[in-house]
Order: sequence, then structure tokens, then C-alpha cells
Amino acid sequence: MKSSPSEFEIFWRTVLARAYPRVVGLSRNLSWLFFDFAFPLVGTFAMVFVYQGLHAPRQYLGFVVMGGGMLAFWQNVLWTMGTQFSWDRGNGTLELMAVSPTSFEAVLLGMAGGAMIMTTLRAVAIIVLGSLLFKVTYNLGGLPPAIGVFLLTLAALYGLGMLLASLFLYYSREAWHLGDAIQEPVNFLSGLYFPVHALGAYVGGAASLIPVTLGLDAMRQFLLPGTPRFLDPALETVIVALEIPLFAILAVSSLRFMEVRARREGKLISKWS
Amino acid sequence: MVLALARTWSGYRTAVRLGWLVSSNWTSPVPFVIYTIIRPISGALILVVMYNVITGGRGNTRNYLAFLVIGVSFWAFVTEGVSDFAVGILEDRGRFKMLKYAYLAPLRFPVFLVGRASSKLTSAVASVAIVLVVATVGLRLPINPLSVDYPLLAIACLLAFISVMAFSIALSVVLLAGRDAYGYGEIMAQVLYIVSGAIFPISVLPGPLAFFASLSPLVYWLELTRRSILHGRVYEMFPGLSDGEVLTRLALATAGTVLLGYLVYRWADRQARWKGYIDMDAAQ
Amino acid sequence: MPRTPNPSSDASRLAVETRDLGRVYKTRNETVTALSSVDLKVREGELFGVLGPNGAGKTTLIKILVTLLLPSSGTAKVDGLDVVREFRQLRSRIAIVSGGENAGYGLLRVREQLWMFSQFYGIKSKVAYARIDELLERLGLASVANRQISGLSSGMRQKMNLVRGLMTDPRVLFLDEPTVALDVGAARDLREEVSRWMAEDPTRTVILTTHYMQEADDLCDRIAIVNRGRIVIEGTPQSLKLEVQRDVVVDLQLEPGVPVLDRLREVAGVGAASVREEDGLDRFSLLLADDAVLTNVISAVERSGRRVAGLAKREPTLEDAFVKLVGRSMTEEETQ
Ligand SMILES: Nc1ncnc2c1ncn2[C@@H]1O[C@H](COP(=O)(O)OP(=O)(O)O)[C@@H](O)[C@H]1O
Ligand SMILES: [Mg+2]
Repeated sequence: MKSSPSEFEIFWRTVLARAYPRVVGLSRNLSWLFFDFAFPLVGTFAMVFVYQGLHAPRQYLGFVVMGGGMLAFWQNVLWTMGTQFSWDRGNGTLELMAVSPTSFEAVLLGMAGGAMIMTTLRAVAIIVLGSLLFKVTYNLGGLPPAIGVFLLTLAALYGLGMLLASLFLYYSREAWHLGDAIQEPVNFLSGLYFPVHALGAYVGGAASLIPVTLGLDAMRQFLLPGTPRFLDPALETVIVALEIPLFAILAVSSLRFMEVRARREGKLISKWS
Repeated sequence: MVLALARTWSGYRTAVRLGWLVSSNWTSPVPFVIYTIIRPISGALILVVMYNVITGGRGNTRNYLAFLVIGVSFWAFVTEGVSDFAVGILEDRGRFKMLKYAYLAPLRFPVFLVGRASSKLTSAVASVAIVLVVATVGLRLPINPLSVDYPLLAIACLLAFISVMAFSIALSVVLLAGRDAYGYGEIMAQVLYIVSGAIFPISVLPGPLAFFASLSPLVYWLELTRRSILHGRVYEMFPGLSDGEVLTRLALATAGTVLLGYLVYRWADRQARWKGYIDMDAAQ
Repeated sequence: MPRTPNPSSDASRLAVETRDLGRVYKTRNETVTALSSVDLKVREGELFGVLGPNGAGKTTLIKILVTLLLPSSGTAKVDGLDVVREFRQLRSRIAIVSGGENAGYGLLRVREQLWMFSQFYGIKSKVAYARIDELLERLGLASVANRQISGLSSGMRQKMNLVRGLMTDPRVLFLDEPTVALDVGAARDLREEVSRWMAEDPTRTVILTTHYMQEADDLCDRIAIVNRGRIVIEGTPQSLKLEVQRDVVVDLQLEPGVPVLDRLREVAGVGAASVREEDGLDRFSLLLADDAVLTNVISAVERSGRRVAGLAKREPTLEDAFVKLVGRSMTEEETQ
């Protein structure tokens, strides 16, 4: 008998393999590039202009530009992890992933990882372009802690993305609606366009469940002097770090649960339902 | 002739119903709540908080708040018409594989498209109304339904309706050519958002963009909606122009958009037939 | 020609075993019983056919066996593992290829796409590429190995899908109408590759669903005919043909006219009747108890005012057995 690969080997091979089409897709489909860059860029600039229309102090432009960078990651999580499952279901790819010995966690990680290159480029482009065009100045001394918080935020955010994707495993069209439904409210609650301080203790506190909220606020506090303080950035960092296992556990159990439900109700095999 | 007209009419009705079925997900009020309430209200909330953070909500700046709210609520016309509509066409192609049947059906394709667009714009009206009511109550905006200049509002919206439709029909046919064109419709709506004075006066834009914006019918449309609802108590982008002058500009810009849309449609339609985009499989 | 099951295979090991298997689909406004009380035993090394008209429940059966769908009742084991409880271990031992499958990412090249799927099984890239290249070569796809899959014809695409099913070296391979809508040449290539793959290792098992009679007859060691979610009969193609051995099989061609199928079925001594249209003629297949019945048939035709264009006796086929057992031909729409 041939030796069968370990679960770990299947896991990491799946991650790489699922990231692969995302990566080669970049070079084979240049139209994506345009789409990926244009969308968040335009959205971010719109908000900068609103502040200019309001004659806001310059540092507010910095808030928006950083929020735009974070928006790229949030959208990546929402749309490329979540809805991709819905696509894969439609053309039968999900079914083939499901019958193979791999896990959905690995597939999702690969999807997100592959898209990450693009998303990072996008976020960097927004921040660099926005900062140059609107003359934002940063406190570069805050860069190391900001990068640390950013990585923690990303980990928590991807857990959230996996949780959302588990819903797409079971629901299809309804899940698209869910994505559409939460996108704008999350943009609002997570303070992508203004410091979360403005939402007050209660709304802001509730919004802190979204990893982006506190992560972004801490990064702003580190990098942009004059950011109104919601919580101490160190405390914000700790909370974001705690959200990592929280979302990871939720995501994994939800994936398991949804897979069984999907098998029971024939949702893995039906196409567009 | 009468027969052809009757056929066109019934085809139009089919397309309206089809659009309604597909976009309202044939089930429940859920999508309606999402697209006509949650999304626009969240968008408005973002702007209200931004406004409050900067101005502290002082009384002398409230005409700017009204500017934001009316702009963002009426914008539903454009998002429904441009982005959702164009995506809807692509959905028909990709997910439902029915576009080619619509295309081959005796009903003419443009009629199908106009029918789809109309169903979108109907739901836009609902969205506008809801956001305005919520804003009037929640933000205590001085909107009084009895003192709205309805004729002016209706004419402005009709003209805007025509331009949005021309624009989005042309756009959707162009997008058929894109392999993964999902999202382009949204980008176009976003670009229009910037250059239409929806949430900030176009004078904020850098010079060339501001000029480009002044050609768009949507700028004049939004100006007229604001004036007709809150004359004198809302920030105006063209204080130097009378209502009549703004209306004239809107009419001219609409005519230009329709002409341009028609030319683009003709060109893109030929491309689409030539290259077989209608039944293309848009797998990623 | 049907393959004889390889004598060296261990016939006591079961590749598939179902007990009282059933599946009900509940949708918002109806409840469909897609499978009920299916008892099936497929021995290791067999090429087992599941034959049935559209909607018979073939796909449902396959999806349960490959762990994508839970049964509503009963149990099923594949390669000795329970499809509900031991699905994780089972998944590395099976593969499924369905007709008209469209999975994957259009911008990937054939070789890349296959590699991607192989990684979901944890196969080392080098090993995977070696197998992929060999199989592509064998199926005549070597020249398109570096073409993007969005540019493949449906025949090439389906061959690629078969390569995907074979490359992981499954213990049990499930083929769900693999040749549906393919041209004759591509379908033949696919069947030949399946036979060859089976011959290579006597412990490999294939479960094939089809609604092509000839495919089942040519390829399968044993067949189960399913209709409306139930197994009607099970046996070798030969033994199924025996069902109609004593009957007289007649091909009757009529010029177009009023429908007569139901009338013919009512004639005493007519065991089964089916019809298809070809070249402007209605071609009936009739199963008669003996030669004498033919006279009654002809007079029934004449009474209906239709003209006979041709008449011939022939050897019974699997199709005839099917019509007799199921009551209608494979392609005939069910009237309820
Ligand atoms: N996901 C599903 N939901 C509801 N009914 C289904 C579903 N899948 C199949 N069916 C029904 O179950 C029956 C058997 O279908 P299927 O197994 O696909 O048959 P076959 O593969 O033999 O054509 C059919 O009546 C079909 O309509
Ligand atoms: Mg089937």
C-alpha cells in the first residue's frame, strides 16, 4: 500500500494550490487589476472630498486615507472569501473540493492568501496615492507598533471572513444579500471614514466586535497625531488579539456545522438554488 | 404596426416582471430591506457622522447637512439604475443563462433592457422616500411635504431617469464584453458619485474634473431636487443660476447623454454579436 | 464486449454496499422521494452500471455514495467505510466525474488545473505532474496541456475531467453520466480509457450511471436498472436480456399519422411497446408473446388508418429488456 499524505500535508498543499489561480489570475487577467484598484480608490477619494467640502482639518484626510487602506482588506475578506464559495458552488468546484480529503479551512486560507498580494498592493496604492495627493503627514515613529496591530487585525479579520464564508457554504443567493447587507453598516460602524471616537462609548463599544474598528483606531493613534482617543491603543491591541481565537473558533465550528447541514439538505450538490 | 406595438408592450412588461423577480429574489422583503433601507441609510449615517465630527452640528451649517442627505438619498436612482442594473444583466448571463434567450426572443433587446431598468428605478423611488422620511424625523431636517415643488421635482427626475437609463443600457452592453465585468457597474456609479455633486459640491474637485462634472446631467438634477425640496434652506452649488437655467442645462445634458448612449450602444451591440459575448460563460 | 470480472480479484470484498437506502428531498412546496429501499452490493473489481431514465435517482445515489449528500434512511458503505460516519477517511479513496461538469477556473491551463485538484489530495507535485502528463498523453490531450481550460471543447473538457478522476488513483471511481452530450468519438475514447484503467488493477471498481443503453451493455459487468428511485432489476447484461429471450422482438415502421402507441399496448400478447422518430418515420419496438400476435398488431395499425413502411424481427437487446421492465423507453417522457 502506498503511504497516504498526512492531514498537514494536504492542508498546506491545498492552501498553495488554491492561492495559485488567484496569483496567476493577476497576470492573465489585467482587467481585474483595474477593477481592484479603481474601486476602493474612488470610494476613498469621494470621502476625502466630502471632508474638503466641509473644510475639515488636514488630519481628517489622513483618517480617510488609512480607512481606505483598511477598506481594501475588509472588502477582500467579504467578497473574495465569502462570495467565492458561492461561485464555486455554481460551477461545481465546491463539490469537488468537498469530496476531496482536504478541508474548507485550507481552501479558504488559500483563497484569501492568494488574493492578499493584490489586496496589499491595493491598500499600499491607496495610502501612497492618497497621502501624496492630499498631503497627509504621518508620525513614522509609530510605524512598528502600527504594523504589529495591522497584522493582528488581519488575522482576526480573516477569521471573520471564514465565518462569513461558512454561511456561503449553505446559502447562496441569500448570502450575497447578507454580504451586501453588512458591507455598508460595517463601513459605518468600524469608522473607516472617521475616528470611532465619534460614535460614542456604546455604539463604538458594540462596533469593537468588528476587528477592523479597534485595529484601525489603534493604527491611527500610532501614526496620526491628534487622533481622538477612543481607548488606549495598547488596550485596543490586546482586544484585537483576543478576537483572533474568538473568530477562529467560531469560524471552524460554523464550517463544520454548515457542512453537515449542507450535506443533509443537498446544498453541496445543487447548483444555483 | 399595432401588433408590433402590442408585442413590444407585452415584452416590456415581461422584462419588468423578470427584473422584479430576479432582483427581488422572488421571496421575501429581505432584499428590499437591504437595498432600499439598510444600505442607503448606512451610507447617510457615515456622512452625518462626518458632518457632525467637523461642524459639531452647529445651526448655521445645517443647510450643508440637508445638501448631504438629499444627495445621498436620491443617489439610489443611480445605484439602482447603473450598478445594480448592469450587474443584473451580467447575472442573467452568468447565473441564469437566460440572457441569450432574452436576446433571441422576438422581443427586441433594448425593450428588454428598458424593462429591466424600469423595475430597478421603481424600487429606487421607494428607497429615496424612506431615507428622506427617516432623515426628516431623525435629523429634524425642515422638510415639509406640503411645500415641495413637485412639478419641478418630477421634471428633473424624469430627465434624470432618461439619462440614467441611457447611460446604464449602454454601459451594460459594454460590460458584456468584459470577462469579469462584475463590479465595473459599481465603479461607474462610484465615479458618477464623485462627479455629480451627490455628497459634496463639485467646486471641491480639482479643475479638470470639475469641468467634466459640469457636463453631467446628474449635477443639475441633484441641484434641482434639493431646490425643489428645500428651496433657500439647502446649500446650493449654482447660486448664480435660476431654477429655469438649471433645468435648461439638465435638459441639454440629458440630450447629450442619450445621444452618446445610443452611439455607444450601437457600437457595443455590434461587438457583442460579433464576438459572441451574449452567451459567454464568465467563469473565474 | 463485456469484460469478464477479473478472476484474481477478491470477490468477497464489497466496494459498495447499501442497505435500505433512501433519500427524500424537501423543497418549499413539495417532497420528492428520489431513492427508496435501495439494496446494492458491488464487488471489488466490478464495473457496475446504474441505468435509468432522467429523474430516476441515479445522481442522488452517486452523491450519497461520494459523501456529498446524506441519506434520509438506510446505510451505505464504500470500500468498507460508512459514508455518513467515516466520510473523512473515505474521501481520499474515491473520485467522481460527472457529465457536463464545468468545475475549475477558466484562466488556468489544463495541466495547472489538474495539478490544483491533485493538491487537494496532498499528492506531491512531482508525482502529480508525472501522472497528469501520462494520463493526458493517453487521452490524446498532450497537445492542449498548456491551453486555458476556458478554450476547451466539451469533449476535451470531459477527458480532462476524467484525468482528474483517475490521477488520484481512487479505489472506487464514480462516473455520473460521463459521456452525456459528447460526440461519438470522444465518448468512445472515454469508455476505452475507463476499461483500460480497470484492466490495469483488478481491485479497482467503477460505478457508472448512464441512460445510454449501449454504453451499459458494452462496458458493464453488472447492471442495476433504476426507475423512480427503486432498483427494478439487477444482473449481468446477458441475464437481463434473458428476460426478453422468449419474446418475439419486432421493429415496426409506420408513416406519420395519429398516435397509436397506447392502442398497440392494449393488443393482447404485446408485452411492451416503445417508439422513437427517425427519418420521418415512427419506429416502434414491440415485444410480442409469440409470432401469432403480429397479425393482431397489424390489424390494429390498419384500423387506425396508418401505413406500414417496414417490418422486421430482430434479436432482443438490453433496450427491449428495459422497456419490458420499466414499461417505457429510456427517452420517452413519463406521463402521469
Ligand atoms: N436538490 C434537489 N432538490 C429537490 N429535488 C431534487 C434535487 N435533486 C434531485 N431532485 C429530484 O430527485 C429525483 C431524482 O433526481 P436525480 O437523482 O438527479 O435523477 P437522475 O440522476 O437519475 O436523473 C428527481 O425527481 C429530481 O427532480
Ligand atoms: Mg443525473
